[in-house]
Amino acid sequence: MAIDELLAQFHEIAASPRKQLGKYLAQGRKVVACAPVYTPEEIIHSMGLVPMGVWGAEMEVHEAKKYYPAFICSIMQTVLELGITGKFEGISAIVIPSLCDSLKSLGQNWKYAVPGIPFIPMTYPQNRKPDYGVKFTKASYEKVISDLEIATGAKFSEILLAESNRIYNEHNAAMREFAETAADHAITAVQRSDVFKSAWFMLKEEHTALVRQLTAELKKAPADEGKVRVVTSGILADSPGLLEIFDKNGIKIVADDVAQESRQYRTDVPEKPNPLDALAQKFADMDNCSVLYDRDKKRVGFIVDLAQKHNAAGVIVLMTKFCDPEEFDYVPIKRACDAAGLRNVNIEVDCQMVNYEQAGTMLQAFKEMG
Amino acid sequence: MGEEVKKKRPAPDPNSAKYKLGQIAAKAYSDCMEAKARGEMVGWCASNFPVEIPETLGLSVCYPENQAAAIAARGGGERMCSESEGDGYSNDLCAYARVSLAYMKLKDAPEQNMPMPDFVLCCNNICNCMIKWYENIARELDIPMIMIDIPFNPDYEVSDAETEYIRAQFWGAIHQLEKITGKKWSDERYKEVMEISGRSSRAWLAATSCAKYLPSPFNGFDLLNHMAVMVTARGKKEAAEAMETLLKEYEDNHEKGDSTYHGEEKYRIMFEGIACWPWLRVTSTGLKSRGINMVTTIYADAFGFIYDDFDGMCRAYARVPNAMNLELSRDKRIKLCKDNHVEGLLVHTNRSCKLWSGFMAEMSRQIGRACDIPVVSFDGDQADPRNFSEAQYDTRVQGLMEIMEANKGGRSDGNR
Ligand code: SF4
Ligand code: SF4
Repeated sequence: MAIDELLAQFHEIAASPRKQLGKYLAQGRKVVACAPVYTPEEIIHSMGLVPMGVWGAEMEVHEAKKYYPAFICSIMQTVLELGITGKFEGISAIVIPSLCDSLKSLGQNWKYAVPGIPFIPMTYPQNRKPDYGVKFTKASYEKVISDLEIATGAKFSEILLAESNRIYNEHNAAMREFAETAADHAITAVQRSDVFKSAWFMLKEEHTALVRQLTAELKKAPADEGKVRVVTSGILADSPGLLEIFDKNGIKIVADDVAQESRQYRTDVPEKPNPLDALAQKFADMDNCSVLYDRDKKRVGFIVDLAQKHNAAGVIVLMTKFCDPEEFDYVPIKRACDAAGLRNVNIEVDCQMVNYEQAGTMLQAFKEMG
Repeated sequence: MGEEVKKKRPAPDPNSAKYKLGQIAAKAYSDCMEAKARGEMVGWCASNFPVEIPETLGLSVCYPENQAAAIAARGGGERMCSESEGDGYSNDLCAYARVSLAYMKLKDAPEQNMPMPDFVLCCNNICNCMIKWYENIARELDIPMIMIDIPFNPDYEVSDAETEYIRAQFWGAIHQLEKITGKKWSDERYKEVMEISGRSSRAWLAATSCAKYLPSPFNGFDLLNHMAVMVTARGKKEAAEAMETLLKEYEDNHEKGDSTYHGEEKYRIMFEGIACWPWLRVTSTGLKSRGINMVTTIYADAFGFIYDDFDGMCRAYARVPNAMNLELSRDKRIKLCKDNHVEGLLVHTNRSCKLWSGFMAEMSRQIGRACDIPVVSFDGDQADPRNFSEAQYDTRVQGLMEIMEANKGGRSDGNR
């Protein structure tokens, strides 16, 4: 397939999750929603269920206001709104981790706001690296497995989990290779986002196949030169209205530290005799993320390195309004970027964003800083 | 609203609970200052960190949340918050964190000073915001961070897996602190501390439950002040004694028909949330001028750290207000409302606290239904004075009072 055709496919899938949901349901598959930021998708996948990411939508909030006050991030608000207004109909369950304070309350509200779709909590430890932390992660996974069995009737098997772990690792590798290739070849910010976003609405083996084709084609395409190279950082960077401004200003995303994008693909499931132990170890190995405890804030140095390694002029922080984990990290990130001579800007984003004027002005100023 | 009539205050009675509790709260700071001056290491400690650990080890710790509340109550909230915002911290962040991060930088606040930390003791059983805030302090000051992770519990009971995870971390924290400070853990001392903390807790629970009497022998705003001692000193003998004095005073008040709530108690409400420290006077007067006594808050339950052994302690710290699921949080509040004859619920939708406010709407609807009482909320903030509107507060409280009044009409049998 030609690049354009492939990109059109990614776009189609990224823009129509409900169509994907309908497709899987029509195939007789059961679908499980996965809330941000991390859920054990491998487990869901291994049980023959289709994990689909739910990261909210660009929409107005009405019904969710009965549950959430205005100062909760719009991802939580709109996930709840979509649930209340029946947009997840057909989904068998939702897995919600408690990695930030707003996520903790999403599950509690969900039980009453969307009683038709069972809430499955995933409780991760923050002290995830010591043995006792890994053990607790595993116990939480076991709880998720039994909740999934109850909600869907599906059965768990270690053999199938080992296979899913492998499929997810392959997908991780494909996504990392794509991101590196996209750094130097012609692809717009919107198209790049489509590739990442579509991953949430497809079985990973299907997505891997498509991404590999695209990466192979991209490698043949000419190098993309003369752009202002940047690293994006934040929870979400999927707003087409915002990303178009990047493209209009000749700003190219050469790497990202975005939760919905590359943060998902940095860590693989290691080799271990027991696949559930291996998956618990994967969580222990994860780092460089605002919702994972890190006394040393390694994430800050990680972002600076990422920018330097990719020859980026700077870092564009896309700040989800009311996201306190990211807001706390922003100050050290800004200081480190300043110290390293990296341009940086903080643009507040929101699912109800209708006006990109201010973002446009900021990005233009960013471009002209050089 | 009329100004509160200033009465001449009599000299404080040194044997009164109020005096003793005030002394303990003040001493918490001066003790830390002295320890620091002697060259000892001093920690900053999260309010629901297991105090048994520093207390048993004989470590001096002070409490940033407590300090932030004191700074805010004395008028410094906005100044300190703005200072942090100037450094790039969003004004959407918890105001306690903003005040504390500003203090870390300025190292001085005339409203309430405390020594700079040599280590931080973090526990996220009240919120994950705590983790981020303490990470920034630890990194900025380059000091050790002791992190006890007590995850939000989606279930009603604390599971064995969670207890085991917490127990391992408690020991991890103890060993880490022994290494950092050179102090040694002693099982005997721990037993003593556990007993004292249990004694303080029992007295506190008994004192706060005196609100069951009609009228209540105390003004619920007292609890907001006294609870500082439960936070910072419940493992100390003086605290246990002062709490027992408080209990005795409340019982005596009841006997004599007296109360620290002055005036006729026409309505009894539960207050939900942290106090609006910058607007304490306004929020209290708004109730008092209408004959409303705030007789209980979840704090009346929150400091019941009563347990018999180490595992019991682990479970107790997993059952603090913001670590519990909606159903357990709701049931505890329903019990407080019923035990204390509450006629209305006033909810502080606190801009600082995403977790506390995140499922409050649904939970308070359920409490209202279960107790057949009106529920009214107002917007505020515990430490940033900019997020509160006196006019809105007044309108909401008036609304609450009118429903309570109408309900009384309908319940002429005096059933409250
Ligand atoms: S507050 Fe941040 S981390 Fe939490 S759900 Fe919202 S965007 Fe995600
Ligand atoms: S007010 Fe809420 S967010 Fe702030 S420290 Fe307390 S529990 Fe955490």
